[in-house]
Amino acid sequence: MIVRRATLAGALALTRAEMADMLQYRVVLFLYSLWEVVHPIVYLAVWGAIAGEGAVGGLRLSDFAAYYLTFMLVSHLTAAIEIYTFGPMIQQGELSPHLLRPMNPVWVAAARNISYKSVSLLLLIPIWIGLIFILRPSFSISAGSVALFLAALVLAALLSFLVGTTFALLAFWTTRSFSFWEIWIGLTFLLGGQVAPVELLPGFVQNLATALPMRYTLGFPIEVLLNRLDAGELALGFALQFVWLIAAALIARQVWRAGIRQYSAVGA
Amino acid sequence: MRILRILWAFLRAALLKETAYRAELLGNLVRSVIGIAVAVGGLAVVFSHTSALSGWTLDQAMVLLGVYYLVQGVVQTTLSPSLNEVVTEVRKGTFDYVLLKPVPSLLLSSTRRFVVWHLADVLLGATVIAIGLIRLEAQITVGIAAIFFAAMLGGIAIVFSIWLALTTLVFWFVRVENITMIFQLFFDTGRYPVEIYPFWLRQMLTFVFPVAFITTVPAQTITGREPLVAIWAAPLVGVVALLAAARFWRIGLSRYTSASS
Repeated sequence: MIVRRATLAGALALTRAEMADMLQYRVVLFLYSLWEVVHPIVYLAVWGAIAGEGAVGGLRLSDFAAYYLTFMLVSHLTAAIEIYTFGPMIQQGELSPHLLRPMNPVWVAAARNISYKSVSLLLLIPIWIGLIFILRPSFSISAGSVALFLAALVLAALLSFLVGTTFALLAFWTTRSFSFWEIWIGLTFLLGGQVAPVELLPGFVQNLATALPMRYTLGFPIEVLLNRLDAGELALGFALQFVWLIAAALIARQVWRAGIRQYSAVGA
Repeated sequence: MRILRILWAFLRAALLKETAYRAELLGNLVRSVIGIAVAVGGLAVVFSHTSALSGWTLDQAMVLLGVYYLVQGVVQTTLSPSLNEVVTEVRKGTFDYVLLKPVPSLLLSSTRRFVVWHLADVLLGATVIAIGLIRLEAQITVGIAAIFFAAMLGGIAIVFSIWLALTTLVFWFVRVENITMIFQLFFDTGRYPVEIYPFWLRQMLTFVFPVAFITTVPAQTITGREPLVAIWAAPLVGVVALLAAARFWRIGLSRYTSASS
């Protein structure tokens, strides 16, 4: 993908504007951040209660603490919010002025995504550091796993953004894009590493989770950071993450092209 | 009697409104079914590694999950759409029209909207409870059923009181559109029995933000588990919470000054 310099400058300017806009909503963003903390804590409590003093599938309480603490950051940084930010733009005809600009409106969605994450990350980090002291996780990480983690995290965020954008683009055809999105969210909950780390899913469900894209938007980077994968699983994981990323990019592009062709703003 | 007639009128108006959007209704029903299916799937994953979660079996945990969805459905059918409207109206000053009507303002403010399709959550919740109870082969006597309903009503009263109290803050702070998110935040912990949480959190979810009374306690009464609190506690807390919230509402109301004054 070749990005022209003018487009990059435009994207940067957009991000700066979106960032300033986002800073108005500090309290709401703080509440959203708290929300992202509660879910992992519920599942940490569930697995902690089962593990007790022992272990579940080789994971002890402190391992679960490390998993779900990492989960908080990863789920935040890979969150897809396009169904809320980009979908309504299409539905309400606000897309029109953006179509007149010399760059793809998807950049608006990207700028909003990045500014949402960076502003609320500032609010999330103090809570997160506090939780480290309460939950006492055991992070078995290494320099290598951190480097691979960063790569997996960036790919996960990109994949998640493309999937989120594609679902938001369904607003070109239907007012019920939310229903489709909730199916994706449900599958991510079960197979992406939220209700349980993927390695704890029973038999064939685990194979399903390894093959499907949900894990590569969420669970995979966490497993990489915490050294839960051997060399073969790592290679397979990155390969599949990359394949899904390319597939998602192609699908998003096709859906955008088909959608924009039949787009008509309100009143047309 | 008059109050019942008013409630019936609200409900009928809502039904008429919703039947205009039948495809939307169907789509929303599908969403509810998916939501519950995913939650039950989550329980299945958890219980593939254990036979008891802090002493709760899969079937008992399913009853609890059903209670969660039932209460959630009640909240979203009428309480949250009605009370959220109060927040908007107070900001715009159109809350005047609520006060002018010859109906108690609290009743009008908390029941005038019915989002009918959320009743699906109530029905699905009840179904999950029933499935759990059948699998448990529970012996439900009239006495146990009565205690269960009392506990459920107590839980719903607590939810209503918290939601009302949070909404009442609008009379002081005006811009509180998102304040009820705080409730949802704590309520989400109620999908699982309160016993799974560490001691300090458990205390908080029992005494400060009584989520335990909303899902864990009712589910305990009917699945024959050792009660967390005495059986009269949930209804009692419910009544006390209701009285306190209604009193707080009246204090807040006395501060209402409409929009331009």
